[in-house]
Formats: sequence, structure tokens, C-alpha cells
Amino acid sequence: MKSRSFSVRAGCWTKAGEVSLGQNKNMNMLWIQSGSCGGETISFLNAEQPDIMTAFHLLNIELLWHPTLGSIGGHEVIPVLKACTDGSRPLDILVVEGAVYQGPRGTGQYACFGGRPLMDWVRDLANAAGYVLAAGTCASFGGIAAAGRNPMDATGLQFYRSRPGGFLGENFRSSSGFPVINLPGCPAHPDWMVETLLDLSSGKLNLSDLDRFQRPRVFYGKLAHHACPRNEYYEFKASAEMYSQQGCLFENLGCKATQCESDCNERLWLGRTGSCTRGGFPCISCTSPKFPDGFVPFFETRKIGDIPTTLPLDVPKAWYVGISGLAKLACPERLKVNAVSFKSVETEGETKS
Amino acid sequence: MKERTFAISPMPRVEGDLEARVHVRQNRVTEAWIAGVMFRGFEKLLIGRDPMDALVFAPRICGICSIGQSTAASDMLGRFYGVGMPENAYWVRNTVLGAEIIMNHQTHFYLLFAVDLTHPSLKGRPGYEEMCRRFHSLEGEAYLDVLKNRKTILEIMGLLAGKWPNSLAFQPGGVTRPITRSDRLRMLGVWRSVREFIEKRVLGGSLERWLEVSSLSDMDRWLGEASHADGDLGLFIRYGREWGLDTLGKGQSRFLSYGAFPRPDGSSLYKSGFSDTQSVASLEPGSITEDVSHSWFLESHSLHPYEAKTASDVHKEGAYSWAKAPRYQGYVTEVGPIARLIVQQDPLALDLVKELGNTVYTRIVLRFHDLMIILSAMETWIRSMDPEAPFYNKHKPRSEGEAFGFSEVSRGALGHWMQVKNGIIVNYQVISPSTWNFSPRGFKGKPGPVEQALTGTPVTDEQDLIEVKQIIRSFDPCLFCAVHSGGIS
Repeated sequence: MKSRSFSVRAGCWTKAGEVSLGQNKNMNMLWIQSGSCGGETISFLNAEQPDIMTAFHLLNIELLWHPTLGSIGGHEVIPVLKACTDGSRPLDILVVEGAVYQGPRGTGQYACFGGRPLMDWVRDLANAAGYVLAAGTCASFGGIAAAGRNPMDATGLQFYRSRPGGFLGENFRSSSGFPVINLPGCPAHPDWMVETLLDLSSGKLNLSDLDRFQRPRVFYGKLAHHACPRNEYYEFKASAEMYSQQGCLFENLGCKATQCESDCNERLWLGRTGSCTRGGFPCISCTSPKFPDGFVPFFETRKIGDIPTTLPLDVPKAWYVGISGLAKLACPERLKVNAVSFKSVETEGETKS
Repeated sequence: MKERTFAISPMPRVEGDLEARVHVRQNRVTEAWIAGVMFRGFEKLLIGRDPMDALVFAPRICGICSIGQSTAASDMLGRFYGVGMPENAYWVRNTVLGAEIIMNHQTHFYLLFAVDLTHPSLKGRPGYEEMCRRFHSLEGEAYLDVLKNRKTILEIMGLLAGKWPNSLAFQPGGVTRPITRSDRLRMLGVWRSVREFIEKRVLGGSLERWLEVSSLSDMDRWLGEASHADGDLGLFIRYGREWGLDTLGKGQSRFLSYGAFPRPDGSSLYKSGFSDTQSVASLEPGSITEDVSHSWFLESHSLHPYEAKTASDVHKEGAYSWAKAPRYQGYVTEVGPIARLIVQQDPLALDLVKELGNTVYTRIVLRFHDLMIILSAMETWIRSMDPEAPFYNKHKPRSEGEAFGFSEVSRGALGHWMQVKNGIIVNYQVISPSTWNFSPRGFKGKPGPVEQALTGTPVTDEQDLIEVKQIIRSFDPCLFCAVHSGGIS
């Protein structure tokens, strides 16, 4: 029988002053930070309804080790990791935050952990794990860490940008038979982490639930454009000309929300209070394998003639030109005026009953 | 007795990757080395890009202080493009940065620092059982309470900055998100909840009463009043000195602050300057240099960030860190809440440092003090936001020149420097607070602030080195961004 205790305190000091390796929970989880900024950890800590402690309890998941949570460190951590890699402590879920730094010259020495390249830890732990989760765009695809000329020789776990392969290779499968499960986003929304853990702990995730970039379709099957409060402005091509204005950010100010596969504008962030476009700044498509270099310039819209080069994902150009021309003609005065105002302006006819 | 060397690697519960090595003789640390063990090459990533790209890359340098990085980068770009901000933008930026600092200070104490007060080797000390009841990781009452409630303030951040980490709401010329009257009311409501939580959990009494505390003896008087002794700060103040934390980790005495939370009239909540605790000199940005004599970078003399052109060298003799060694007028210098309070000539900070020195105890108490000052000011900032007035000024393009941007973040002074030619970035340098505090040895082998604070530390258990860890954590290390820069040879 599974333990009914609600303790998740693995990776902590016990009262006897020893390191607890946890109890027999449904599943355990180990979180390692590779070439990261810590942003995925911060985002995960921001989880609410359920918050992370409630989630661990609800899902009966024990935290084996996390670099910020728990108490152990130094000489106490390495044995925990080794117990996982040598099989004496089965590891159910490995979460990797950050890109894998392979530089300089394939040695991985740009990032060490306990005197050993992190790269080597990531490989050994991934090979031992039941499931491997890539938290964030860097771990999934390389992301910001692999931008431009990629001086750190950074890569994602199983993709390098859009190309399958990455650090572990295209054929990698964890012991459950799954490839790396990618949860991109810069950062990933905490719900994406918690809900994926729910699916794993209840055995509900199927291979067919993942999309072409190994992302759970349930989060990445929508566009950041969906539920954007500026959608009426978008429909009539009533566009903001500078930041702080209320109009659509697509035509002039670089917004890529119609290309970004993510449900973040429906789900919302930080106590469900905000999102990028609600914050008045453009979506830069941070869940994409092509982030960041595929989305420059970030703050203005590149155009040929009057037509943006960054059209919505599956809208043919000719249709876009036709529809947007008509939409502009049909645009109500209310939207024209408010699109270029930072505050709500009343126009004639608005209050007609 | 023989001298022995111990390494703490990996150092847990710090933000980012850090290793400490200490020499111990007769149960005392005789010498210490602090190393950043991850190289992230961020500044190199920015070379060749549009200056505005800094807004996307800067917050991603550090997921912990991402707003702080955005503040410095947008301040720098505002200076570069020569564009000023409307009044509202000051209040919004101060509020969002303040929210990040308030949350980070709580995270630091409860999730990272106080856990050490529950270490099994400390059993038997007065108050130990109570420390465990509150601060045990993942089960202590206070730990869990804060893990849940630290997030309340994020609702203010969500309204003004959209998401966190990694917002793009701070632009040269202002902020992207105007507010309505209902937003303002909602933010005041959230602020009130945060204040009530801090008063109950941390202070055991009113915010105003704490802000009147102006000396060590005054603080002891405060402790005796109301239920102050039962708050988490009271508990720390009560037992911290009994446990000797007031003599642990005595650091050097030069402090730097870039000043923070500017107001439209040119004044600010925190002044900028450089202080040896006796007097304060005005800040001269030209006096900041970076030394790489003990870092894995090629050149070996000190340079101003505008001149820095570094390339990595993993085989360099005598080098032991990916962090560089920033110096002010050549001096080893500490930054952080304690530094901005001393530069501000805050009476409590000056008295604590005079009576007890710059120790683990002082740093922790003053980090809370910083939190209370910012929390109190935040109400005024929110009330000052005017929904009827503008939030943003558009800038004109510029393709040549250089600029710097400064901010104070949770851990202290943060600076960005950028040079632009033909519309693209040709040099970008970041000096983060932990680069100052956790700097390796510099010129003539003079140790950095934390290395100095560790020297002379008593060691009760060579296996655990708990005192060493407490000292390191009292500086609130964040090595995500301290480990630096430069290029690849």
C-alpha cells in the first residue's frame, strides 16, 4: 500500500540529522538547473490553485531534490544524484531547467556541478529517469541561451532550435518510452508544469498528446492571440502607433501573438491578472523553437509595402490583404480614436441605444 | 595543527551556481575562495544586435531579479535615446521594482537563509526548537506560510508588468501599461493585504512603529513592546545575538549604492553614493572598474566596462572563477540593502554597523529594514499614479553612441553599459550586485567582500561548515548573473 503521509520532505535534514530520501510516494521528482537564469523555478514557485505544496500533496509526488527548495547541499546532494544514476533510488520524473552548455569545445566546462560538467549529470540522470521534462524554452530548444552565434554551444535536450536531436539525440527515450516532454515558454506558465505532473502521476499522458515539437497539445494548441482583450481592434485593424495606446499591437508594434502557440492569454499570469499583450507590450512568441532569433525585430512590425511579413500562422496572404482592407474601411470611429489613445475616449454615437 | 582545505560544492539554496573553498586551521577559516562556476556569456549574446533587443535579453540574465535587469536596461536605453519619462512612469516602475524586491527579500530569508537556523548541529541552542517549528524547509509553519503568501504582491506586478519573470513593460520613455482608476484601487487592496501579512508574520506589530526604530537600543526596546518578539523578525533579533550571528562574518567597510526609486522632481527614496560609513562621497560612474586577474578571462588589468573586451581562458594560471572582480576607485566594495541604507545615512543602519559591525546579523536585520521602507513608500507610489495623464514618450532612433543604466535591485547595485555603432551593439557589459560581493581576488590578490568576511570564521563542524554557509547566504548570493560576460577566444 502507498504511504498516506503528506510529507514531501525528501532532500531535507531529518530530526536525526540525516538526509531523508523520502518515503514511498506515488512518484518522485528531481529538479536540476542547467544553463539557466532560474526563471523556471521562480515561475514554478508562482503556481497557484494549486500552489506547489498543495500540488505535491494532491498528486502524491515527493520532491527528491530541488536547488532552491529543501535544505541539503554540498556533500549531501551528490549522493542523492548518484543514487538516482546508479539505480539504487528509482527516479520517476527529472525536470531540467535551462539549456545544456556543451562549450567550450564539447567539454561542458562552462557549467559545472559538484566538480563535474552539468552536461554529464544531465545525460546520466536523463538515462535513469522515467520521464524527462524540459522546463522552459532553453531546456526545450536552446532558447535565449543559444541565441545568435550561440557562443556557449548551448542546446535543448532533444531539439536544437527547430531541429530534432539536441543534446540527447532524436532517438532518446526515457524508461517510460517517452521522448523529452517539452514545456517551452520564457518562462513556462506554472500551470503547464503542474498539470503535466498531474497527467504523469495519474498515467494520463499519451504519446499522441504531444505535438510536433513534443509539447503537450493541450497548452500549445492555441495562440497567444486567443482571448487578447485587443481582439476587437485586431479585427478592424485599428492599431496602436506607440506603446501605452489601446489599439492592436500587431500592425506596427511587433506583436507575434498570432504566431505564438500558447494558451497564456486565456490562462493569464500572476494571480490571473496579466499577460504580455494585457501588459501593453508585444508577444515575442517565446514558446516557439525559433525564439528569439526568429522573431526580430521584437518591437516593430516588418512590412513589405503595407503588409506585415509576420502574418498569422495559417492565414494566406491574399486573404489577409483583402480582409484587412475591408476591415479598415468598416472600422468604427470608436475604435479608430481609442486605438491611438492611452485612455478610454468617448465618441459620438457610442451611447446610442 | 595542520591546515586543511574544504570545498562546498555545489552550494545549495543560493540562486545560481557557486562554490566555496576554505582553508581551516585550529577550527578557524584562514583563507577563503569564492567561485562562480557557470559561464553564461550573456553580454556576448548581445553583440551585433539592435540596442532595443537589450530589453528582451536583460530580464533573462536573471530570473530572480528580472525586473531589476529591465530597470537598468531601460534606464540605459532612455539615456541612449535621450528620452525622458512622464511622471506616471516613475510611479509604475518604482512600484513594480519594489514588488520584486519585497518578494525577493521574503524568499531569501524564508526559503534560503532561515533554513540554516534549523541545522541539526545547532540543536541545544536557546530557541532552536522554535526555529525548527517555523523555518524547517518544506514543513515549517513560517516557511509554508511565506511560500503561499509571498505571491500576493504578484497581482500588482501582473496588472502593471503583464507577467513575471521577463516583462517588457519597461521601455525607454516610460511604461507600456496605463492604468485605470479601478486598477489603482485594486492595487491598493493588494498592497494592504501584503502589508497586513508582513505585519502579522514578520513584525508582530505595525509597520509605522518599526520604521521609527533608529538604533540598536531602540530596536531592543521595540522587541519588548506588543507582540514584536513573536514575529519572525523578533525571533531572529532575539536569538540572533545569543547565537553569535552578530560576530559572524564581519565584512569590510566600504559600501556602494547607485540610488533607487527616483521621483520626477529629481529626488529619490535612496540616494546614490560611496561610503566608508564615516562619510558619503557622490557616485562617480568612471570610478568603476573590473579586474580579471583571478578570473578565467584573458586580459589581466582593470578596465572600465566601456573598455572591457574580454575573452575566456579556462587554463589561465591562478584563475578560479567565472565572476570578474569589480572595484570602486580600486577598493573592494560591498553592495546590497546594507550598502544602500548606509549611503542613505539611515540611522538604524549606521548604529547597527557602529555597534555590531557589518555581520550576518546586521545584514539580515537591514534586509528586513529595506523591505519595510520600500513597502511603506509603495503606497504613495500607487496613490500618485494618475489614470488621466500619460505613461509613455516615444523616442527617436539613434545609431551611434554609448550609455549606461543603473538600478538598485534586491541584492544591491546593478549596472549596464552599452556601446553602439551603425545601429548595432558593439559592446555590452553588466555588473550585477553579486559580482561585487562574490568577486574573486583582484589586483595584488586582495580578496573580495565575501572572501574577507569568511576569513577568521570559527568552524564547529568541518563536515557541515554551517557557519561558512550562513555567512555566504547572509549576502544573498545570486550567481545567475554574477557569472559573467566576455567573449570566446
